[in-house]
Amino acid sequence: MANKVAIVTGTASGIGAATAAELESRGWKVAGFDLRPSPQCSFDLCVDMADPHAVAAAVSRVTQELGHVSAAVSAAGYYEMIPISDISREKWTKMLSVHVGGMLNLSRAVLPAMQEAGDGAIVAVTSELAIGGGSEDAHYAAAKGALIGLVRSLAIESAPHGIRVNAVAPGPTDTPLLAADSPWRAPEYLATLPLGRLTSPEEVALCVAFLLSEGTFLVGEILNPNAGAVI
Amino acid sequence: MASKNERLSPNLEGKIALITGAAQGMGAAHARRLAASGATVVVNDRDASPQLSALAAELSGLAAPGDVSDPDQVAALVERVRNELGDIDILVSNHAFMTMAPFLEADLDEWWKIIDTNLGGTFHLVQAVLPGMRRRGAGRIVVIASEWGVIGWPDATAYSASKAGLISLVKTLGRELAPEGIIVNAVAPGVTDTPQLEVDALSAGISLAEMHAQYAAEIPLGRIAQPSEIAAAVALLSDFRLSAIIGQVVQVNGGSTRTRA
Repeated sequence: MANKVAIVTGTASGIGAATAAELESRGWKVAGFDLRPSPQCSFDLCVDMADPHAVAAAVSRVTQELGHVSAAVSAAGYYEMIPISDISREKWTKMLSVHVGGMLNLSRAVLPAMQEAGDGAIVAVTSELAIGGGSEDAHYAAAKGALIGLVRSLAIESAPHGIRVNAVAPGPTDTPLLAADSPWRAPEYLATLPLGRLTSPEEVALCVAFLLSEGTFLVGEILNPNAGAVI
Repeated sequence: MASKNERLSPNLEGKIALITGAAQGMGAAHARRLAASGATVVVNDRDASPQLSALAAELSGLAAPGDVSDPDQVAALVERVRNELGDIDILVSNHAFMTMAPFLEADLDEWWKIIDTNLGGTFHLVQAVLPGMRRRGAGRIVVIASEWGVIGWPDATAYSASKAGLISLVKTLGRELAPEGIIVNAVAPGVTDTPQLEVDALSAGISLAEMHAQYAAEIPLGRIAQPSEIAAAVALLSDFRLSAIIGQVVQVNGGSTRTRA
């Protein structure tokens, strides 16, 4: 366990950064991928997760430099609210290529070696909005919902190889993805949550770490640290 | 496996945990797992038994037998724990009673006994531990539901209804108690290697090994769960650093359901 290698994407900030920190504290060797440098990671690469070739090259480099990759976490993403009529084709395609494509590209790059080893775990970070939807969230929710379908299908396909694929669907989380004036930070919204506050990136990281380690019988499951937003 | 002296995450040092239905199977696994995280465990089962006492001794905990379907016994049990150890921080409601029969052949008294034990027992337990958790200002309640409470199962109407009822109870209490820092969730195990499988095998008229193989064939992971794998989820939901999972059902079933509970 002490020397296992995990790739985490979106490690420049927020959930990805918290996940990398939690995994490192548990003895994992973590490779952080992000568009920008990930200063908290001891090993990081700048990678566009929407680009399959770049992702494949980055995963090869991690394998060469750190060793066999036995876990991968797809946390890279972004958030924007746009009314449905104003979502341009470009914005729609970009949303899908980063969130669904990011998980797809990462999985395709890490799975062959995991299959050979007969062991591995992959976690995708989706969203509470994939389940409940939200106003002006059509493209984000569609991408995160597609991610759930991808995770569950990949989960049954990979389970016979000893590889577990699962997801975490956080509620609004206290990260830079939520602007200071985001409606998800408004006191009126927070008052509707049973917990009365945003989910913290550290709480999401605890869920991811569990799915990668002790959660050995969870397959195609979604953990929901969402402060009670969707029950 | 961690060595005996190594503390497993989360750190539950100083916490008191009550685990019901703990004489064997999953309940014993939950008790061992929480004790491995440093909790002081109180193990309950309906009857006093050498097994229950041995488990308590092994974990340096307390054996507290009592019938959870009887609210007076539950109140007395929780009072006893309070006097001997203190207020309960973590409740793992794991006890269950089950018999199987086609719907119209189910004995009515038996049907209600399943509901009263599984659903009613948890209701009584939550009512009894709440004042202590409120004194503590926080708490964790983990209810063991079942895959069958999510997807239903032939010849298990009462059991499935009791477990589905527990899921709704958990969702409601999750909402109701989260503002007080008392976090309520459920774990829905799939088929798990416990003594209960002997009952299933008997009911199906096949050997235990055949029963294992038959269940495993239906699970994407290709095997049934070990009790420790269910206990791992219980430990996650007992983590006082994690409050954002509320009123949820964590399905630990090797990929058999892939649904939202």
